[in-house]
Amino acid sequence: MLAEETILLWVPRAFAEATDGLKRRDFIALTGAAAASIIPAHAQAMPVIGYLGSESPERYASRLSAFRDGLAQSGYAEGRNVSIEFRWAQGQYSRLPSLAKDLAGSQVTLMVAPGGAEVALAAKSATATIPIVFEMGGDPIALGVVDSLSRPGGNLTGVSSLSVEVSRKRLEFMREVRRETKVFAVAINPRSPTSDSQLKNLHVAADSLGLNLVVLKASTEQEFEGMFAAVHEMQAGGLVFSSDPYFAYRSQQLAALASRRGVPTITQSRDFPLAGGLMSYGGDFHQSHYHTGVYAGRILKGEKPSNLPVQRVTKVELFINLNAASALNLVFPSSLLSSADQVIE
Amino acid sequence: MTAKAVVARATEMSKATTPRSSLFLKYFSTLFAAAVIPLLIAGGSEAWFGYRDQRARLNDLLDAEARLAAEKIADFIEGIRDQLGWTVQLPWSDNPGDRRRLDALRLLHQAPAVESLSLVDGKGKERLFVSRIGLNRIEGGDDHSTKPAVIGARSDRIWFGPVTFQDGSEPFMTIAIAGTRAAAGVAVAEVNLKFIWEVVSGIRVGRTGEAFVLDRPGRLVAHPDIGLVLQADEAAQRPLQALRAAILTRSGQAAAGQDIAGNMVMAAMAPIPGLDWSVIVTQPLAEAFGPIYTALWRTGVLLIAGAVLAAILAYWMTQRMVGPIRVLEDGVARIGAGQFEHRINLATSDEFERLATRFNEMATELSVSQERSERINRLKRFLAPQVAELIERSGDDQVLDGRRVEVVAVFCDLRGFTAFSVRAEPETVIRVLREYYDALETVVSDHGATLINFFGDGAMILFNAPVSCVDPAFRAVGMARAMQKSMQGHLANWRALDDRLGFGVGLAMGPATVGRIGSQGRLHYTAIGNVVNLASRLCSSAEDSEILIDRVAASAIGSEIALVELDPRTLKGFDQPVPVFAVATDLAARSKI
Repeated sequence: MLAEETILLWVPRAFAEATDGLKRRDFIALTGAAAASIIPAHAQAMPVIGYLGSESPERYASRLSAFRDGLAQSGYAEGRNVSIEFRWAQGQYSRLPSLAKDLAGSQVTLMVAPGGAEVALAAKSATATIPIVFEMGGDPIALGVVDSLSRPGGNLTGVSSLSVEVSRKRLEFMREVRRETKVFAVAINPRSPTSDSQLKNLHVAADSLGLNLVVLKASTEQEFEGMFAAVHEMQAGGLVFSSDPYFAYRSQQLAALASRRGVPTITQSRDFPLAGGLMSYGGDFHQSHYHTGVYAGRILKGEKPSNLPVQRVTKVELFINLNAASALNLVFPSSLLSSADQVIE
Repeated sequence: MTAKAVVARATEMSKATTPRSSLFLKYFSTLFAAAVIPLLIAGGSEAWFGYRDQRARLNDLLDAEARLAAEKIADFIEGIRDQLGWTVQLPWSDNPGDRRRLDALRLLHQAPAVESLSLVDGKGKERLFVSRIGLNRIEGGDDHSTKPAVIGARSDRIWFGPVTFQDGSEPFMTIAIAGTRAAAGVAVAEVNLKFIWEVVSGIRVGRTGEAFVLDRPGRLVAHPDIGLVLQADEAAQRPLQALRAAILTRSGQAAAGQDIAGNMVMAAMAPIPGLDWSVIVTQPLAEAFGPIYTALWRTGVLLIAGAVLAAILAYWMTQRMVGPIRVLEDGVARIGAGQFEHRINLATSDEFERLATRFNEMATELSVSQERSERINRLKRFLAPQVAELIERSGDDQVLDGRRVEVVAVFCDLRGFTAFSVRAEPETVIRVLREYYDALETVVSDHGATLINFFGDGAMILFNAPVSCVDPAFRAVGMARAMQKSMQGHLANWRALDDRLGFGVGLAMGPATVGRIGSQGRLHYTAIGNVVNLASRLCSSAEDSEILIDRVAASAIGSEIALVELDPRTLKGFDQPVPVFAVATDLAARSKI
């Protein structure tokens, strides 16, 4: 570094020798700091976060803000001491692996893969050296993302929420609302790596609750319309969405369809009742994305991903929308009202 | 000795005899000790007492923090316990209705750490199960009576299970609580201990200190860095167990040890009652003893500043001392070397100046005294010792100044000495002359006359100058007679060498100019005037053993000494024949016969 040498040169020799002993480190730190303040910001290699998103920036907006909050908690701010390079799959999850490879090829310091197992797995397949922080709903071990939660090993760690595990609870809550009905529809994204396990759980839950399930599959937006129409036609008690980021990121669309078709619906994301849907039950995505940001910051500071245990966001939140309920001529039982984390009136 | 040589010698002396450093060292060590030793004592005691106080304060602080932290965590558990307590207040009936389920759901809502809750009736059957993750069960009917949680709660009212790490990561614990009546059954809750993080991370000990919780086997239950808990790595947590062991060996005291990252910390511990957990609070050693380090730094800086100040003061003081001393030394050396006109210039207005004044006075005295002794040495060459002493005592040599005075001039010489000196060996000539001079000097000195000088075998003697005396003519004749007497004794021996040797004296009285004459290098006291010529001619004219006197002297003597008037003689340089008198002596009479 030229500037540092220049500074060292005009330090009187005697002083340099005097500071040789104990204070050498301080001295270097001092000149280092001085040098850092002299060198223009752009000359320093600012770390780059490669951010792999399965959707568009608009759909990720609330998640991104939570992520940035987490980064800030670790002392990083985009543009100040870190830059973020984004790759958006625009809902086409098949593009994720190539986007991940693209990021890995552009020499990012760290890859952030939020928004589900597909993103995490795409990132994992793209690099075995660049640290990866993932954010997902399912069980990272079962999905083959990591071998151990406490010691993830390898180059990736991250945050998981309990969204996938609690799919069956959504069925239970829906039944609470529609106790008179035995038939419920379940929405599954067949492209989701967690679809099989969720479907199995839901069937087990339906059996123990004495319910019949009609499984509807949708993996594109175009299929949503037909799905709600089918539920409406079959007079099912309600539609229970399995946990899937593709669904979660389209909460507004789903809420609009549900209210148009008059279908009592529950999804994983709070965005759904906030957009006029009936209710939601799932992990707190704000927390999970926030912790993703914190982890990203800690890795930028030099911690190894293998030393950071996979964090589980334990908070599961129940949101209910009374307006939607009254529009559907439904009455929430007091058990749900008292359990709700937020009641939208 | 020239002035330059004096200075050279003086500096040489000062170089050889003044070890300048010793004074400096004495001053420096004294001042240094005066400044530094009190500082050292003050600093040392400050450090020692500061350390003790800080140690005691640290004990109190960490102890209080540990208790506070333990209380907070106990409150957390207590909160869950209170919530659970509500569910076991009433005995189970066969058909409990929906109220129990609502209570249980409300509990989940109130206590976020509780992940699931099962309510067991008095017979040990599970009547209700609610969960955040799994499906709720009503009247499940499973027999839980043999489960440790139910047995433990039934015997002790409350039971805490061991800490388990779900999927090897998330810490969980079962808490079971029994109602006051057996029929009220038991509530068994799965508690996610990650929620203690909120309590633990909120605890700040000092600036950077922290608190963490170990369960009975020493596993980390809660830590501000939740990752350490989730890692559930018992090997990595060994330092914390060692820290706990270290605290246990010094009951009631804070102990030093390493935290999980290997940093040295001070730590104190408090138990959480009922749980057998330990809350340990730590503070980095550097921060804990920061005030002491600050004090030590301060003391160190003061010590250095004191030492520098002492050194500067010592140097200044020593310079103040050494400077005048060197001037004095140099001056004294010059004066000692004879440069009496040298003056020591010191204006320090203290003892040094006084000393310099004394030295200057001494130099003046020395100079005066040396001048006097030089003068006297000069006088002694032509004055009789008594006269010289007299002048020396009076300290006044004005008597030697030129003036006109009535003197008696006496001349004497050996007859036939020139012929003798040609024939005889030089050693013999010199020996004879020495005996002759010695004898003359003795006689002159005995009579208080002034021996002006010797010239070959002759000598000139003055009376009444430079020191006046009473009756000079009489004294002069007395001396001439004594000379003759002494010389005739010697001549008796010398005639064995040459029988033509003899001794004659002539004296005359009259005014003459007397005083010091001569150049700077050769100074004489002498008399000039007719009387001197006359005395000299009379001496030349005198026979052996004869003492010739002019008329003035003869008339001054009068009849006290028998004089014989001889025929006037024609003397060289005198136009008229000069009346001549001879002192009647036995010898003269005899030679005339």
